[in-house]
Amino acid sequence: MKFLKLFVVAKKAGTVTRKYPFEEPLITEEFRGEIKIDPEKCVGCGACTLICPPNALTMRDEGNVRLIRYFVGRCIFCGMCAEVCPTNAIAITKEFELATLDADDLLRDLLHKRVKCRICGRPFLTTRLTKYANKDIPGSDNYADVCPECRSKLSIKNILKYRGDLDD
Amino acid sequence: MTKVSIDSIVKALRKSVWVFHLNSGSCNGCDIEVLDALTPFFDVERFGIKLVASPRHADVILFTGPVTREVLPKVIKALRAMPRPRMVLAIGSCAVGGGIWYDSYSVIGGFPKLKKILMEEGITIDRVAFVPGCPARPEAIIYGVLVLLGVVKPKSKKEVVTIE
Repeated sequence: MKFLKLFVVAKKAGTVTRKYPFEEPLITEEFRGEIKIDPEKCVGCGACTLICPPNALTMRDEGNVRLIRYFVGRCIFCGMCAEVCPTNAIAITKEFELATLDADDLLRDLLHKRVKCRICGRPFLTTRLTKYANKDIPGSDNYADVCPECRSKLSIKNILKYRGDLDD
Repeated sequence: MTKVSIDSIVKALRKSVWVFHLNSGSCNGCDIEVLDALTPFFDVERFGIKLVASPRHADVILFTGPVTREVLPKVIKALRAMPRPRMVLAIGSCAVGGGIWYDSYSVIGGFPKLKKILMEEGITIDRVAFVPGCPARPEAIIYGVLVLLGVVKPKSKKEVVTIE
């Protein structure tokens, strides 16, 4: 009659089964789910794409736009992007019900407009990022809409002008 | 013989789904979560989901791992042994998009890439559901099965936001 002891154990434990789809899931404070990029705050610097271990966040420059793509399917939910973001645009949500029938549904795209260089006309940085940089560095407004290559040429020209070596 | 749509077959399967667990070189994180979902704590037999020992008996394959080169012939063999309709639940970020090994030389890199190889082999996969997570929670796996069977509509949609 040893097995009857099981009834005592079972009664003490009670019902443990979670009725998951019909009740709240067991989510703790520390749980990390899908990340949400706030389009109001994101400047398109690409810091998150550099730190991302599986490259779930990727950055690509195409003509006048900079595409920041988040592929949830490859994300390992480490939360390093939220730590590294300079504007705190990335928030970690508790969303985990991400299952889909199509892998394309797991893409989150963010399209940033890029600034065109005032000398050569080539697009280089995002408009948000230039504004963000101008806020912290005084005197950078003069060079904000000039691409790095033209900027070095321009600064050499200015130095020569200052020294009086340049005629025009 | 009349052509039967996949939806009607899936509808018939809803009441009792037999699953086979196929590990294609995963780190065992997702496998432990699959086992978690099968324990009395989450008790998937509420939905008639039952683990079977052979792909010949299975309706759904619980697919984990990024498909290493070593295991690829065995994966093809197991999927060929499965009867139609073949339904696959790709669990974890490795099975969905390759995970942190997505560009490694020793892995195929997730189920979407494996599907192309299976097409060349002449194996059709009728329906796939992707369950992201590293590892996916047992609740997420249950939700994935419900999405696969068409009980609930998937929440996540592609988002495109343009700034300025």
